[in-house]
Amino acid sequence: MTKTLVSIHGVSHRFGADGAGVLALDGIDLEVPDGQFVAIVGPSGCGKSTLLSLVAGLRRPSSGTVFCDGERITAPMPRKVGMIFQEANLLPWLTAVDNVAFPLKLRRVSKLERRAAARDMLALTGLAGFEEKLPHQLSGGMKQRVSIARGLVQDPAVLLMDEPFASLDEQTRMLLGDELLRIWSETRKTVLFVTHSLNEAVYLADRVIVLSARPGRIVDDVAVDLPRPRTFAMTSSERFGVLKERIWQHIRQAERR
Amino acid sequence: MTRVSQAALYLSILAAWEVLPRAGVIPRLFVPSLSEAVGALVENHGEYLASLPTTVGEILVAYVIACGGGILVGQIIGASPRARRMLLPVFRSAYAVPLVVLYPVMMVWFGLGAESKIAFASIYAFIPTMLTAVAGVAALSPALGETARAFGATSLQQILFIALPASLPSIVAALRLGGALVIVGVIVAEMLGAAEGLGFLITRYRTLLNSPGVYAGIILVLVMTGMHELALRRLERMVASYRET
Amino acid sequence: MRRHERLIVAAGGVGLFLLWEVLVRRGALDPSLAPAPSTILDALLKLARRPEVLASLGVTAWEVLAAFLIAAPAGLFIGFALAEVPFLGALFRPLINFLFGVPKSIFLPVFILVFGVSIPQKIAFGVFTTLFVVIMGGIAAVESVPRELVTVSRAYGATPWQVIREIYLPSMAPILLESARLGMIFNITAVLLCEIYGARDGIGYRIAAWGENLQMPQLYAALVIVAIAAVFVNEVLRVVESRLGFWRRVA
Ligand SMILES: Nc1ncnc2c1ncn2[C@@H]1O[C@H](COP(=O)(O)OP(=O)(O)OP(=O)(O)O)[C@@H](O)[C@H]1O
Ligand SMILES: [Mg+2]
Repeated sequence: MTKTLVSIHGVSHRFGADGAGVLALDGIDLEVPDGQFVAIVGPSGCGKSTLLSLVAGLRRPSSGTVFCDGERITAPMPRKVGMIFQEANLLPWLTAVDNVAFPLKLRRVSKLERRAAARDMLALTGLAGFEEKLPHQLSGGMKQRVSIARGLVQDPAVLLMDEPFASLDEQTRMLLGDELLRIWSETRKTVLFVTHSLNEAVYLADRVIVLSARPGRIVDDVAVDLPRPRTFAMTSSERFGVLKERIWQHIRQAERR
Repeated sequence: MTRVSQAALYLSILAAWEVLPRAGVIPRLFVPSLSEAVGALVENHGEYLASLPTTVGEILVAYVIACGGGILVGQIIGASPRARRMLLPVFRSAYAVPLVVLYPVMMVWFGLGAESKIAFASIYAFIPTMLTAVAGVAALSPALGETARAFGATSLQQILFIALPASLPSIVAALRLGGALVIVGVIVAEMLGAAEGLGFLITRYRTLLNSPGVYAGIILVLVMTGMHELALRRLERMVASYRET
Repeated sequence: MRRHERLIVAAGGVGLFLLWEVLVRRGALDPSLAPAPSTILDALLKLARRPEVLASLGVTAWEVLAAFLIAAPAGLFIGFALAEVPFLGALFRPLINFLFGVPKSIFLPVFILVFGVSIPQKIAFGVFTTLFVVIMGGIAAVESVPRELVTVSRAYGATPWQVIREIYLPSMAPILLESARLGMIFNITAVLLCEIYGARDGIGYRIAAWGENLQMPQLYAALVIVAIAAVFVNEVLRVVESRLGFWRRVA
């Protein structure tokens, strides 16, 4: 049995002044073993981003606790948790390599050292040769690769990804999905991956968590028992269809309520 | 909430303007109370009114020269990418030149009368007006004209239905900026050297240390620029609705 | 601009001056209204050797600089406060927008009533004309800081000070410089206007005097000096602005 890396206990989160605001999450319990790839799906506005921001330490839950690698999360812990957003959110005045090195700069790692680490990460994400480009010189897919490299540069145990491919075109997103699986299999990170695409969820993940409409509760926890490495052919297999169908039923019910 | 506090803010500014000079907190020579300034305007309204024909006349002529010329040149330069590339950098740099220094030259050329004010205000407003017009024309999409041609529009139809409505907003924007600059240009010129006009009146009251008279004149200028601004905003809205139909 | 176009523009400029020179020499232009460029150049070289003229330039430069050094930090401070403190912003921004649109030059006589004809009066008037541009620039600069980048850097553990240094400053810098540059243009104009309107020294004062005495070569030479100085300051600031904004996508 591998150890549990992320554990979320009885987490609820309410926005706004005490008791008055929106209840975004309600009673979330989730244990994620080391190295697992977890996809999180659910209707729009159900609290997926909120959940990730709690694990990232960007906010503190109204109630309940979040642990990462045995340590309680109350503030960002960038060395344990890397975050990748829907938009690449690169600093436009930094080159690709300096963007990737940025988290290390915040920790005052020497320039030489952090650039070397950043170069390695860019190579890992398939961007060797683009180190000195500015963000506006890169395509959308390349920017997102830089963003992933930045998430990986401190070698965090956990990678949080909030709809990282949502603003990319279909082909780029499939390519990046395969890239992500390759990187994941090389680095064995624990991944929490929010997506709206059921295909993406089933194709990438070991396990799919389905949230209900707001306030978000876990309504299903689906183990994806497709073999790895995943192939494009699997997406048209019967098992793939069955899994997708099961998740879809939940989301439809959640929306109807 | 903000509405209330803003109303309170404006009221207290007006109240302070009235009370502080009266109470002697601010010397009356620096800032006369609001009622004093408005009083001067009412009391000497004959003199202010008599100064207006000169000033307004100068403004109108300079308006036509600066805005007409600026918009015309702007349309021509804006229509040609090559002209834009070649001339805009020159005009942008020239924009930094403080044109006030030209007024003494205008005085030598045209004397103390209206001509020097008109010439100065026209030059003063020309470049910004033109740059605004150029920006509007340059932003037009050539696809519009092509679409119209594809549907067989005649040249007249193209101008009437495409070019004119498409560039109208930038023309109005140019008028709005240029007109304001023309008004200020004329007043400043009159302040610097003239024998009549509103600007001259303001300067004369200043030499007499009659500060209510100075403030009354300034209020009158602000009314003029304010009315111009309101009129052009209105025109802007009309143009916008014309484009929608 | 392409290279040959640049040449055409330069040749056009030179050509204009040559035409002017020829017209004056042929008697088509009255030298008492527009002296020949050669005469102006001659006067310029002579002025450049007259200590009292250089001193006047120094006075003007000092007034401009002092006004800028007061207006820029003050304007930035007010601008930041209005952008970052919601209450202040909601209360004062309409007023500031209004004041930004009000023509400043017509208030010059008021500054003479308050300060008399003096150097402080010119500096104060320069500050008054410059301030609002810088305030607006400060507000725009803060609003241009992408919120997402602040979140990202927080997620990567940035301290508040690091957020300011790594995110706020670089993203605001080009806009701040642009507003400083525009403010400087207004500032120079304001100080010269003061000096022409009423002063005891400064290059604007000399320009007005030469104009009154119909000393055209000196008058034109002074215009050339002022124009070159203003364009120079503007271009220097513009170079810095585009250096700091190298990352902005060129449209
Ligand atoms: N800062 C905030 N203040 C108040 N309410 C918020 C805030 N952020 C999110 N919410 C609310 O909390 C709920 C959950 O938001 P969240 O962004 O987590 O949803 P999501 O599942 O990520 O949605 P989407 O699929 O659209 O990205 C939403 O109803 C949203 O309106
Ligand atoms: Mg979301």
